Amino acid sequence: MIEVVHVSKYFDNEPVLKDISVTFERGKTNLVIGQSGSGKTVLLKCIVGLLDVDEGDIIYDEVIFNKLNFGDKKSIRKEIGMLFQGGALFDSLTVEENIIYPMDMFTSMTTEEKIERANFCLKRVNMVNSNHLYPAELSGGMKKRVAIARAIALNPKYLFCDEPNSGLDPKTSIVIDNLIRELTEEFNMTTIVNTHDMNSVMEIGSKVVFIANGMKCWEGTNLEILHSDNQVLNDFIFANSLARHVKNTMKN
Amino acid sequence: MVSVYKGKKINEGITGSWHGVEPRTVRFSQIIINFISRNLQNMGFFFHVGKYFELMLKVFTKPEKGIMYYRQTVREIEALGLNSVGIVFIISVFMGAVITLQTAYNTENPFLPSYLIGLGCRDSMILEFSSTMVALILAGKVGSNIASELGTMRVTEQIDALEIMGVNSASYLILPKIIACILIFPLLTLFSMIVGVAGGWLAVLFTHVITPTDFVYGIQYAFIPFYITYSVIKMVVFAFLITSISSYHGYYSYGGALEVGISSTRAVVHSSVFILLFNVILTQLILS
Repeated sequence: MIEVVHVSKYFDNEPVLKDISVTFERGKTNLVIGQSGSGKTVLLKCIVGLLDVDEGDIIYDEVIFNKLNFGDKKSIRKEIGMLFQGGALFDSLTVEENIIYPMDMFTSMTTEEKIERANFCLKRVNMVNSNHLYPAELSGGMKKRVAIARAIALNPKYLFCDEPNSGLDPKTSIVIDNLIRELTEEFNMTTIVNTHDMNSVMEIGSKVVFIANGMKCWEGTNLEILHSDNQVLNDFIFANSLARHVKNTMKN
Repeated sequence: MVSVYKGKKINEGITGSWHGVEPRTVRFSQIIINFISRNLQNMGFFFHVGKYFELMLKVFTKPEKGIMYYRQTVREIEALGLNSVGIVFIISVFMGAVITLQTAYNTENPFLPSYLIGLGCRDSMILEFSSTMVALILAGKVGSNIASELGTMRVTEQIDALEIMGVNSASYLILPKIIACILIFPLLTLFSMIVGVAGGWLAVLFTHVITPTDFVYGIQYAFIPFYITYSVIKMVVFAFLITSISSYHGYYSYGGALEVGISSTRAVVHSSVFILLFNVILTQLILS
């Protein structure tokens, strides 16, 4: 479980996150949604420690993460897997080497064990026989899947995904979404996904947090979101005419 | 005088407070003063110096896993060092040839023995060209390579990915580069000295400005082995400057392709300036 307690963040004295408090539960796919520039990525970067919070606390299973020193943070970071927007695969390494990298760095596994684990992770994301390809030879969807394989290589307790569907077609997006949900349930991880894709919200959002202008405006489940009276939320999720039409039909 | 370009006064402020001074001088001194005061006001210079040393503290920490750093260092020796052998060879051979020819054409004096041309070529290569000139060339090749590699890793979030895994990204990415360059650049200097003198010999052989025997006598005459040590010491310092300054610019890149290009350019310019500065300092310290 990850708790965000009264977190605020400022850039040049301008507030980007304003007093956000939210709990992300284990075994659930927690979605953070909001417009571009609303503060989703800043919140995610604060949670993983890439940015320091100015006020408040980030608590990982009762450990206040933001108050730990570099060494103690490292031990928690080894339990974190993260999927970046562009995949962030290491260009100079093959798919297999990318997945083996965290095992090389932090475990004393034998080469055979590492390859076996890499093959398991690749099989889990349906990327069998791509071991010796380089990231430049992969499509956008394949890169995301390899990045997920790398993220789960060390069996993490926490999985973070920053806009996993950006740049992907709707069908591939659903494949990635379902993969994230299945892995979350299979390995009982605490998963936080940043997205503004409503398909993802409806598909995997067991908990949804809506952020606007750096503030938490709403939280609930994917089923509750359609019936919310929150005007800001409704303006966001029913932004296009088709969605508004569906909403009106449901009302009637 | 105020110049007007497309309806806008473009140098109104420059001459305003500098009455009675030549306009050209005013413009130049004003630019220098503006540059210095802007940097001091914004604390830009001190900010970068502080940030550079902060980065170096992160770089020189105990490696997480020695074997990974060792592998990375071997990779960097190949990428940054061995892949530079070609350019060092070409530059040195032509530099040696040109020094020999220029010395020959400028010392057509019957009172000067012709073997001095060989001596001039040897000492020029050893004292200055094989260290400083090669370092400047490597600042261009290796410096831009390092800055663009790290800059691209930064903007594509690969460095963030390392940090999330719990890896000390600064140390893992930069330390092997520094070690590789410190190990391999002095060898490139020695290689450059040999090839440069050979280039001079080839020039003599083909142009007959002096006899090859005189040239060979000249390169053996009054040889001071300490000059090689001096040159190697300089190159070790230059290797550190090139890799650390370029890494600094690359590591703190942000934005996209444009900013990575700017970082790359800054890396080359700043490395070159510091090479020239330290060349003076080290020469004074070692040879005086």
